[in-house]
Amino acid sequence: MSETLKLTILNRQDELNRIATEVEALGEREEWPPELVFRANLILEELGLNIINYGHDEGVHEIEIVLNSEPEFLSIEITDDGKAFDPTEDAPDPSLTAPLDERPIGGLGVHLVRSMVDEFRYKREDGRNHVALVTRRDK
Amino acid sequence: MQIDTVNEGGTLIAKTEGRVDGTNAREFQEALEGVIKDADHSVILDMEQLTYISSAGLRVILLIAKALERQDVKFGVCSLSDPIREIFDISGFDKVVNVSGSQSEALSAVQG
Repeated sequence: MSETLKLTILNRQDELNRIATEVEALGEREEWPPELVFRANLILEELGLNIINYGHDEGVHEIEIVLNSEPEFLSIEITDDGKAFDPTEDAPDPSLTAPLDERPIGGLGVHLVRSMVDEFRYKREDGRNHVALVTRRDK
Repeated sequence: MQIDTVNEGGTLIAKTEGRVDGTNAREFQEALEGVIKDADHSVILDMEQLTYISSAGLRVILLIAKALERQDVKFGVCSLSDPIREIFDISGFDKVVNVSGSQSEALSAVQG
């Protein structure tokens, strides 16, 4: 069982709902465990929102997403034409040990993604960001 | 966003459901703030029916936890699904928010 799904979304927050619907449908067709549906949604939302919120100063832009569901793993590729941003390196690790009143609000998204994937690669090419991730089907 | 509440011996139990993501986190925050303003002793957020939460939703829970701490109101969460429990652990939230397996455990934690 395997399937490759290509999605092109615009840099608007409401496109996240469409991604969630498509990911859930793919997960159903490919009989993903619920944990994988959750992980795929989280990866796409956290990285997608970063691009949508911070990638461009203005204008309508396309973000390309390719999901490749294989029996043992799921790979995800995200390509955008926004500002150079390497989520494998550029985002600082959030403070995870500070007491409640000193805990900074935010900065968690990329950290969650890093913790959930088995491979996380980035390259900048032809003015575009390319992110590739692999997560095992069962953890 | 719908958040149902019950009062259990002075503890306000708020039930969340469905998805909390980047598109409705603000709505989630407003709904929770509306609910907890009446709390005077302790608050439990029951997540049994919550199917998905991302960092945008975690941020709201952190804000609520901070606000309640300032008001000297105890706060706990309970009945997290496995993936939600996992992201709580990855985020280190389990160190600053009381996490219980069930509503009754959470009640003894905040009332005990």
